Formats: sequence, C-alpha cells, structure tokens
Amino acid sequence: MRRLLAAAALVWLPVAVIAATWAMWSGELPTRVATHWGTSGAPDRFSSTTGFWVTLLAIGIVAGLTALTAAVATLRAGAPAEADVARFLLIGAGAAAGAVAGMWVATATAALANPADPRLGWRFLWFVAGLAWGLVVRAAAGRFSRPVLPAAPGVDPLDLGPTERAAYSTTLRSPLITGVTLASAALVAVLAATVQPGLWLVAAIPLLAGLTFGRIRVTADRRGLRLVAGLVGVPLKHIPLTDIATAEAADINPLEWGGWGYRVLPGRAALVLRGGPALVLHLRDGHRFAVTLDHPRTPAALLTALQSRIPD
Amino acid sequence: MLFRVDVAAAEPLADQIAAQVRGGIMRGDVTPGERLPSARELAEVLDVNLHTVLRAYAQLRDEELIELRRGRGAVVRGDADATRLRLVELARQFVREARRQGLAEAEMIAIMKEAQP
Repeated sequence: MRRLLAAAALVWLPVAVIAATWAMWSGELPTRVATHWGTSGAPDRFSSTTGFWVTLLAIGIVAGLTALTAAVATLRAGAPAEADVARFLLIGAGAAAGAVAGMWVATATAALANPADPRLGWRFLWFVAGLAWGLVVRAAAGRFSRPVLPAAPGVDPLDLGPTERAAYSTTLRSPLITGVTLASAALVAVLAATVQPGLWLVAAIPLLAGLTFGRIRVTADRRGLRLVAGLVGVPLKHIPLTDIATAEAADINPLEWGGWGYRVLPGRAALVLRGGPALVLHLRDGHRFAVTLDHPRTPAALLTALQSRIPD
Repeated sequence: MLFRVDVAAAEPLADQIAAQVRGGIMRGDVTPGERLPSARELAEVLDVNLHTVLRAYAQLRDEELIELRRGRGAVVRGDADATRLRLVELARQFVREARRQGLAEAEMIAIMKEAQP
C-alpha cells in the first residue's frame, strides 16, 4: 500500500517540472507563446505565456491532488478492490500531469529555441513522453490484485436428449464503452483542433475501438464459444469445445479483471463490458476466459451439455 | 437466446425453430432490433438443412416478428413486442368471457386445446 503513496509522489514530479522550469525560463520567454501550429509547421495561434503556464499548472495540480486523495483514502480503507480503483486514478492522473508538463516543455522550448519563428516539430514528443509518464506511475503503483477465485463449481448441463440439438446466440451492446470511446474521441478532436493537428490521426483510435466493441455477438454451440465484433464481423475469440474444461456462471468485478474492454491478464482473458453476471470458461490448459452477459447460466449449461457428448 | 430442436419430434424442424424465436422474443431473450444468427450459421450449428432455417425465418417474417434483409440477415422487428401484447389482450378477453360464463381454469384450457386444428 505504501507503493500507492510513492506513485502519488511521482504524479507530482511533472507538476514540479512545470513550476521549476518557469523559474528558469520565465525571464527569457516572450509575453506570448505559440500554442498552435498549422499543417505547414508555422505557428498560427499565440497565447499569453503566463495564462498558458497557469492553466497547465492548474491541471497538473488537480491531477496531483486527485492522486494524493486516492492514495491516502485507500491507505485508510485498505481493501484490495479499492486499491485497484486508486491505481486506475493514479495512472490516469500520472498521464494527465505528464501530458500537461510535456505540453509546457514543448511550447516553452520551441519559443526559447527560436523566438522569432517557433517551430514545434519533434518537440511534440515531449507531450507523448508526458503521457507515457502514466506507465511509470503504473509500475510504481504495484500490480493489480489478482483475487484467488474458488475452484469452478460448473453448472448442471442442459437436459439435452440424444436427438436434440441446441445453439446459443446473443448480442452484447455496451453503452458504457461506446460512450467513453466517443467522449475520448471528442476530447482528442478538440485537442487536435486547438493544439496539435497531428492528433487527428489519434482520434481515429477510440472511434475504431468504439465501433468494434459497441456491439459483439457471442455464440455457444457445437463449435465452442465464439466472439465476433461489431458491424464488420471481426472474429475476436474462438474457443473450441475440446479446449473447455468447465463452464460456470459467475459475477465479475471489472476491477478484478483489469478494467473494462478486452482484458488480457496472466493466465486469463476477458471481455468485460460491465460488472455483474458473466460466463467463465476454465480451459484445459489452465487458462480462464470470461465474457459478461445476462443469464450466463444458459450458455454455461449448454456448453457443459455439448461437451459431455464429445467422446473422450 | 437458446435455440433447441429435437430431430426425433413429430413437429417439423422449421416450426420448432420458429417457436424458439417466438419464445425468445416473449421472454425478452432477444429484443427488438437485435439480429438473429444468419440462416446459414444457424443451420450449420444445429446441423439442419439451410432451407429448414429459411422456412422458419420466412414464417416469422409472415407473422411480422422479424425482418429479412438481403445481406443483413434476420432482425427482430421494432414492434415485435406489440404482437405479444395483442395475444395477451385476446387471452384476457377470453378469460373474462369464460369467467362470466362460470368456467373453471381446467375448462378454459380444454377449450384452448379444442381450438387447435
């Protein structure tokens, strides 16, 4: 748990960089700095240096305070699930603080290097490096807890007669994931329009993710379990019937599976679109695969029944 | 939703599949706007003839429960719930009239069974 405090301290480092560089550079910086560059590379928008610096510093301080609050609150509560929430907040705050520091360093050094015609160019990498600060914070915050789940009880097989055939199919929609990805695409678009046109390319990433994970078709039948994504039908996962040891219905806490979306953790993977009921497959190689869906008992019972038909 | 058919049953396979979809809509396992598995896919996994599934889907289309679109497969109609409500309303009228005539539940069920062709 002490690692959380160390991670919170790391979130403050970029904030300190913003403050310290001001002390070093403020004498030499012009009163207005270029804060936006056109596609030709020439600056096309300028802002008050002090105002720009104060804004970025304020964002950094908010991120720092969020991190500190999350770490301290978790130290008091001490539950592993809450520590995972704190880790998420710390990583986000680290990326945010790093990003504003990167933005500041890039803009200020561009102005210092050539006050008459400041160019951003490769200095954009400061911003990327700043975002990556979130990864450093992640390393410091420690591993997400991996609760040991009880051995799979499995479910009773579906009462399939020898002449009966069955298949299960459902479509998963995730307003949460669609909403979050659209919101982040909008945020990147705003940044692209105001700060850095290169970000237009980045905006496509959350948009694509939203389209892919917004609608997923899950089928369980004699072929095994299949997940096919979205509008275009991208196969996400196929687990043949013969690879499945047992199938169970369980409640999933996204924080215990590494968050929302398609999660890959050591020894297990999951498609987590929300907390709650999920189909969990225990595979013969010891891995687990989970997908959140309503009434997971139905596909679990079906897979168990179909599996018992396979001659050993 | 779960599709299950019994190849040994007297009821035609297409009718069985159609009944499964109807039940799925009534139970809310499939919701309006949701896409059913393609006929080809369902035929493959249930190991039945493609035309059997197509016949079942055509039946459901005629009952105004699903829409069949070339290339888009079968989609549960937005007003599919209304058809169930119509049935429920008819059942209520039936029960009301039967009660008025002093019929017991077993007699109502017997009449329902007689009404079947």
